[in-house]
Amino acid sequence: MIIAERKPFAEIKAALEPYEKILIVGCGTCVAVCLAGGEKEVGLLASQLKLARGQNGKPVKIGEITVERQCDREFMQPLSDAVADYDIVLSTACGAGVQFLAAMPNMKPVIPALNTTFIGVNEEAGFYTERCRACHNCYLGLTGGICPVTMCPKGLLNGPCGGNIKGKCEVNPENDCAWCAIYERLERQGRLDLIDPILPLHPHARTTTPGVIIHQAYKRRYGGHE
Amino acid sequence: MSKLKEALEGGKFPIVVEIKPPKGINPEAMLAPVKSLNGRVTAFSIPDNEHAKMRLSPVAAAQLVKAAGAEPMIHLTCRDRNRLALESELLGAAALGVENVLIISGDFVNQGDHPDAKPVYDADSVQLLQIAKGMMTGFDSAGQELNGKPQYYLGAVAIPEADPLGPQLLRVKKKTTAGVDFFITAPVYDLSKLQEFRQKLGAEVKMLATVKVPKAAEVDQALEGKLRKVYSLPVAVAQELKADDPAEVERKGAALAAKLLKEIKAKNLADGVYLKARGKGELMAAILDQAGI
Repeated sequence: MIIAERKPFAEIKAALEPYEKILIVGCGTCVAVCLAGGEKEVGLLASQLKLARGQNGKPVKIGEITVERQCDREFMQPLSDAVADYDIVLSTACGAGVQFLAAMPNMKPVIPALNTTFIGVNEEAGFYTERCRACHNCYLGLTGGICPVTMCPKGLLNGPCGGNIKGKCEVNPENDCAWCAIYERLERQGRLDLIDPILPLHPHARTTTPGVIIHQAYKRRYGGHE
Repeated sequence: MSKLKEALEGGKFPIVVEIKPPKGINPEAMLAPVKSLNGRVTAFSIPDNEHAKMRLSPVAAAQLVKAAGAEPMIHLTCRDRNRLALESELLGAAALGVENVLIISGDFVNQGDHPDAKPVYDADSVQLLQIAKGMMTGFDSAGQELNGKPQYYLGAVAIPEADPLGPQLLRVKKKTTAGVDFFITAPVYDLSKLQEFRQKLGAEVKMLATVKVPKAAEVDQALEGKLRKVYSLPVAVAQELKADDPAEVERKGAALAAKLLKEIKAKNLADGVYLKARGKGELMAAILDQAGI
């Protein structure tokens, strides 16, 4: 899932300073799971803002609404009406959701409440780690299910750099060296031959942004995009 | 033709010394060892933003070394350039007659003085070796024909004391497959480790062993069991080097470097030596004097 974290409160408060009627729009999917922008976090942020503005003698009207997903138009329609009474929208979605929301017809200006960080996993409650850089060319079948693009900070494709010390990463000694881990797992599985060949240069052309994927079944419908 | 290649392939036990490009535009200190040691050593090696700290460009420094009448070796790191820039730099080196290139992945940006810089690593060191080899046949990595065929003598890094060793041997094997001409090791103080590594690689692989004058801080860390490096500094050696005055540590370190250099040569533990003495010409000269070179 997409992992995000809330921006520092001071930054959010400063961005909202000129406005008196604020609608906070939450997102009920990834950012709710990672405790950054779901219904509960929207409520907390609203209370914090009301309190801070009240203390500053600049009270605000704050509305709260959380949709299932801000990255899906299907769930966005109710917002068109909801924003009418507000000056500004504060979105607690990831960067994709913020952009989708901001592009809606008749939308008020939208500002983000979160910094979107990575595609990751839920290790434990409140503990998330990155796993995927969305590189368009998955190597996991060759590398024992450990991603060299993501788990090696240098994204090396052909074995470890010279900086690892006792299997720990040069960049952050708390982390395992991805290539040592790949080697160890494949050795245990008797599949070291998979990483013998030299992997070629990564096809970065595929990662030119913004990416577009059209599902096979919809090629005819959206053919113009190809 | 590269004098380093001639010396390494002719079994002449070359010495390559590392000089330090300035953080600025005044190259005099960098060139001091070139002027004082030219003729005594085979080549002068120029790091590329070493430890991710920004310094003068190696290709420009190489031209200055050549102008001083000596042979340069440039390092080329994958950290700071995409494939276009790497290839362009390789062409620039060849056009200036610089053949010796040490291909390295490069320390990560968080180790250096521009920690917010974007780390590139478009190619890794294995792939960059392949690119350079391909350029020698007259083609760039996109398959486009070059005007002329550059000549390089290509080096890469090997870590004798890597732990675990398996992944490092995989990397070394891939560098060999990619066409590396020689390896330069990480610093070695325990020569039995160098010997073991050499046996694993095979004597046909050309190798320069790195002899380094340790810093006073490294000596202290080794004594406290806190040295976090890809090489070890045995406690017994660190005890011998320990002194209150850093200048004395340096003097003892130079004596140690001379001893290591002599032993590597006498016991044929490597095909040559790569000397790191903080770019100080007088220190290098003292080491060479004591080693009888």
